[in-house]
Amino acid sequence: MIFKKLARQFVAPVAAATLALGASFSASADDKEIVLGGSIPMTGPFAFAGIQFDRGLKDYVEWINAQGGIEGHRLRYVGEDTGYQQDQSVAVFRRITSRENVNFYFGDSTAFQQAINRELDRRDILMTGASFASELNNPDQYPLQFLLGPDYSEQVGILLRHIADESPGARVALIHSDTEFGRDPIAFGRNMAEQLGLTVAATIVTPPGAADISAAALELRRARPDYAIFHGYVLSPIPDFIQRARQMGMDTRFMGTYYTMDQGIINEMGEAADGFMGVMPYRYYYDEEGPAPIMDAIRELHDEYQSTTYIQGWMTGVLITKIAGETIRAGKELTGRNMRETLDSLRDIDTGGIMGVPANFLGNSIPIGRIYRADVSKGQMVPVSDWIILD
Amino acid sequence: MEWLFFFEVSLAGLGTGGLYALTAIAFVLIYKATRVINLAIGEMLMVGAYLFFGAAAGWALPWWLAIIAALIGGGILGIVLERGVIRPLLGENPISVFMVTIGLGSILVGMVELIWTANPRSLPNFFPTDPIFIGDAFLAPKTFWSFVVAAVVIALFLLLFRFWRGGVALRATASDQGAAYAMGINVPAVYSLAWCLAGVIAAGAGILLGSIGGISSEMGFFGLTVLVVVIVGGLDSVLGALLAGILIGWMEAMAGVYLGGEYEHLVTFILLMVVLLLRPYGLFGTREIERL
Repeated sequence: MIFKKLARQFVAPVAAATLALGASFSASADDKEIVLGGSIPMTGPFAFAGIQFDRGLKDYVEWINAQGGIEGHRLRYVGEDTGYQQDQSVAVFRRITSRENVNFYFGDSTAFQQAINRELDRRDILMTGASFASELNNPDQYPLQFLLGPDYSEQVGILLRHIADESPGARVALIHSDTEFGRDPIAFGRNMAEQLGLTVAATIVTPPGAADISAAALELRRARPDYAIFHGYVLSPIPDFIQRARQMGMDTRFMGTYYTMDQGIINEMGEAADGFMGVMPYRYYYDEEGPAPIMDAIRELHDEYQSTTYIQGWMTGVLITKIAGETIRAGKELTGRNMRETLDSLRDIDTGGIMGVPANFLGNSIPIGRIYRADVSKGQMVPVSDWIILD
Repeated sequence: MEWLFFFEVSLAGLGTGGLYALTAIAFVLIYKATRVINLAIGEMLMVGAYLFFGAAAGWALPWWLAIIAALIGGGILGIVLERGVIRPLLGENPISVFMVTIGLGSILVGMVELIWTANPRSLPNFFPTDPIFIGDAFLAPKTFWSFVVAAVVIALFLLLFRFWRGGVALRATASDQGAAYAMGINVPAVYSLAWCLAGVIAAGAGILLGSIGGISSEMGFFGLTVLVVVIVGGLDSVLGALLAGILIGWMEAMAGVYLGGEYEHLVTFILLMVVLLLRPYGLFGTREIERL
């Protein structure tokens, strides 16, 4: 009884005052806030990237707010762990979008970004994320999504363009995992290789989670390619393929796509990495060539190597800043559709040096990348091409 | 030339088959002694590989000492799982125990990710790297040496199983628990022994597998093919596990090269279906007759 009285006399008014205070805060915050939600794979098999996305996004948000925010608006990031499970990613999306006024969203996988597409349309939110799937690079089907660089087909296209420039008429093998991720760029790659006058000597498929690729390595030797492009893997079985090829006396040059190309993954390859090449849409942390204020800001914040997925987090922030900033300047509301219009109108985006050339969207992607080669003695990836722009 | 290629692919398939056979023996050992279908065998293998990684890369132990540490760790893991989780469930519905092993697999994955993160890793190389030639046929040194090690371990295990006192107790318990009790065999200790040995074998297989293709928390996927191997060979047959392991390794290599990598698992599971239709107890499994 006493407790009930106490509750009536003290707790209820305090709670009401707190709620009122909270409401006034959120009302004023809503007016001047841009919210970036995120389904982030902090655990599970993609955690190596998810933790870095999260760090990169948090650091960027802190940095841009210290610069005065985006046109006077504070950027706020709200991310939750998904364990890289699609159902969990959807649940996190629903939870965050139901309690926050979300403007942008960061997705953690192709499957999630496909599944949530209708919901984006309903809630009028603009999304980007971890996926570089070619299917998402379709503004008709995915009008409220954009990629943070070239899609997987374009990544392979950039590699093929480099091969055609370096060794016209070369023989190329495409090696991919038997997953949606692995199959993504293969048909496009075969066509583009033909157009560039290259010969596709073999297309080798490995089952998901294949532990031993002995037979596939023999198939590669039979094809005798000048170049072999891996896609659909992060690390395994790439070093094993390279070691076996060297033991068989092959002089094939091996290449990979974005998620294989972080310095940390390359280091795990050990000596097999020496000479390994691949496409990278962003500058590496230690690449100090040319003026790059954003890369400088990252280096100022951290004096040790930061992964490419961390830089991908900053790239997200830079693009959000451009899109939201232009939309606000045009006097429009920060809805997904308005921001899509802004995105389509952006030309020669300055990424602060993350990309070495001004960026332009083509559809939903930015088809820009550069070929880097692993120099094991230096412990770094060194550029071996200019920035390549696919049209 | 084509025959040489066929021979090389066959050798590669036998190499993979050796690993299947080794892991399958760990599975059969547990099933024979305790009648538990242990679906966490792939994850036990993964833990073994990570223990080796932790000892070799984390503690910077020499590779041979790291292997011993990982094998001991695998054995301890087997005992802990048996005493802590499986034994309290003895006498329960086999489906419950089966489901618990699935849960155990998830817990082991979670533990590994907590300790070593989910980042993909490479194991320190401890195999000789000189290419192996059998006639003109090339065999990758990792495949060759892992097959040799698997074969030696299997042979050693068969000898232990045949002649060692503990091995005889294991066989006696497997064939008739009641009689084993009556003869004074400490059956609960035999259960622990079976899980301990299976943990050691799985850890060994994990080290071999990880040294070939690297390690990740998803390595347990390998256990799925091993499950097919033991069902094809017969859940309680050591000979079946050996032959089915070799057969499936060879078939996968052939399918991968001549049909394409996307058909490797398809061929394996078609074989499983055919064997289950024709011999539901596997090629060499004990045919159990139940009165209804």
